Amino acid sequence: MSSKEQSAVHDHDDDSVVVVIGSGAGGGTLAHELVTKGVKVVLLEAGPYLKNEDYHQDEWAAFNQMAWLDPRTTSGSWRVARDFPNLPAWIVKAVGGTTTHWSGATPRFKAHEFKARSTYGRIDGANLLDWPISLDDLAPYYDRAEKKMGSTHRHGRPALPANNNYKVFANGAQRLGYRQYATGPYATNAEPYDGRPASIQDGFNFQGDKNKSKWSTMVSEIPKSLRTGLLDLRPDSHAVQVTHTAAGKVDGVIYIDSEGNPQRQKARIVAVAGNSIETPRLLMLSASPLFPDGLANSSGQLGRNYMRHTTGSVYAKFDRPVNMHRGETMAGLIADESRHDPDRGFCGGYYMETIALGPAFLASFVEPGGWGPEFTALLDDYLNTAGMWITGEDMPQESNRITLNSTVTDRLGLPVPNVHFDDHANDLAMRSHGYQQGSLLFEAVGARSTHHTPPYPSTHNLGTARMSERAEDGVVNQFGQAHDVSNLFISDGSQFTTGAAANPTLTIVALAIRQAEYIVEQMAQAKL
Amino acid sequence: MVFPAKYSSLNALELSDEARRILTRIIRVSFPHAQFPDGPYERMTEKIIEASAESSWFRMALTQGLMTLDTLSEEHFLELPDDRALAVLKRVADLEFFAFIRRTVVLNLYDDPEVQQALGYEGESFSKGGYINRGFNDLDWLPEPRIEESGEPIQDQGPLPYAVTAYAPETSSKPVDNVLGDSGIIEEGSTR
Repeated sequence: MSSKEQSAVHDHDDDSVVVVIGSGAGGGTLAHELVTKGVKVVLLEAGPYLKNEDYHQDEWAAFNQMAWLDPRTTSGSWRVARDFPNLPAWIVKAVGGTTTHWSGATPRFKAHEFKARSTYGRIDGANLLDWPISLDDLAPYYDRAEKKMGSTHRHGRPALPANNNYKVFANGAQRLGYRQYATGPYATNAEPYDGRPASIQDGFNFQGDKNKSKWSTMVSEIPKSLRTGLLDLRPDSHAVQVTHTAAGKVDGVIYIDSEGNPQRQKARIVAVAGNSIETPRLLMLSASPLFPDGLANSSGQLGRNYMRHTTGSVYAKFDRPVNMHRGETMAGLIADESRHDPDRGFCGGYYMETIALGPAFLASFVEPGGWGPEFTALLDDYLNTAGMWITGEDMPQESNRITLNSTVTDRLGLPVPNVHFDDHANDLAMRSHGYQQGSLLFEAVGARSTHHTPPYPSTHNLGTARMSERAEDGVVNQFGQAHDVSNLFISDGSQFTTGAAANPTLTIVALAIRQAEYIVEQMAQAKL
Repeated sequence: MVFPAKYSSLNALELSDEARRILTRIIRVSFPHAQFPDGPYERMTEKIIEASAESSWFRMALTQGLMTLDTLSEEHFLELPDDRALAVLKRVADLEFFAFIRRTVVLNLYDDPEVQQALGYEGESFSKGGYINRGFNDLDWLPEPRIEESGEPIQDQGPLPYAVTAYAPETSSKPVDNVLGDSGIIEEGSTR
């Protein structure tokens, strides 16, 4: 074992390697788990290798540096299609994937959220299904994920202190009668942990975190993996096709390298973790005479059931200063509304979490399309503004889906993904409830006015290659293994059967740890 | 509509001084902030002219839009008070030239250092050691809240066993009905 963080070099014709596509929460974790068990991995990352010192504490500069800006199109009645027609999702194209942009909230799924169909019953227009695993199956992996990520309030990790935005949020919660509020669980160090320093409350969680206090695969799993000497990390390597043998096993990946040249890496196993838009797109681009509707798509569910969580923000104005931009952006959660309680008029639940944007992003997202005095009033008194975000379970719908748009091509000449989304009535009822509770909360601590901000481009992209017990209901089994192709795995949020209320990163990491164990076991038994 | 060939003035590459003044006035009226100095607004005028140079379509739309604004009121646009100027702009809000101005201003005005300073935003903080010793928790008009979890189990399903102030839907509680639809509560995108 070398102590140097240097990429191994595996031969392009080495068919003993596992190729992992995407270096975020799913792919970065899977690669790390595999190399620590002695498996050789080639990790393909479409974006550049940005490190902490490269990140900008400037919202637009950071966005232009990190965001996935390859062309995409949108359709459907969701407001993002009107306001941001070419930016359906706000995710990252760089080593570490969207773990470099996420803010850090790590709630677990609840037991009944793995049984959404049984618990909620039949809901018109929703393609609900129970997961093939339970909370008990995942609980030990949640423990390991929380330790890996250093979640506060868990396994002895101390809580982060209250920042100004949290003081407003928590006092409002308490006055409404909520009891389940805290500054976490949140995967950012309150004290030094795992070789990384304590938070200096510098804000800019969405911009990569220069201080390394926030967990990401870029600061944790990637460097640890490089030190094993078994990880061949290839940044600027954009996978465009997964190839297969005549017998229907995958045998390699074609990608475009940093010079723009096509390369082929042979593989024993391929794991796809490109986030829930690129993952189904890649499998669709890999269609062949043997798999005419896309690789691993005999169910017809590939690309369908796209979920994005029911979200929305509430920004409130006070008479006195808040300075929401100072400190950890999302270190504040309220869990009282995360329950399933149909008396509220909808199924499933949602979390309320602190959020803060700088003036540049607030202007673009607080009320897209807005102008005039009503709009500028939302920016005035910036100092006296507090913010919260709601994130809750949305309904999987077959018609919410990723397809290839063959009329628009990207710089590689490939059809871009189209993201179609319509809100379900349940999503709308939940969002309205969240907006009302958010307004009540801020009014309880003296808000002069509150504004209901529509959902941002999606950060929680889920469900487009979902897990199912039966091959006809989904794309992968309980280990993320394709029903149709035994040596093909899906390792990101695409495999979520339903979305639950919780921020998804912790669950993606837990599933990747479990998947790695299964892969190693199957390899040892020569089944893979 | 744009008539590039018929009216040669519309093909002008440079805006007249008056057209610039009209543009600055549009930006001021569309994005009024009493506490902002003139500098950022003037820079937005330059930014829009600069951005329009990159597209013949935007340049033509902008030139014509600025020239025709006067036809929408009896007096000269530059002489209208704020409220009447705003009313004129509301009539052109759906036109491409105005959408172009609006987009460009939203993307750039609030990124301007002078604007951020006027709003009290402190920007980059890493080089100053973050806010750990510079006021991340200096809010003193509310009590110090608990930061630990409550220790009570979180209710997974059904109504809470304790009272919470809540918006109460008055109509049926059928799970998938949009029970909030007709109740007169504020909708997304509104302020109360």
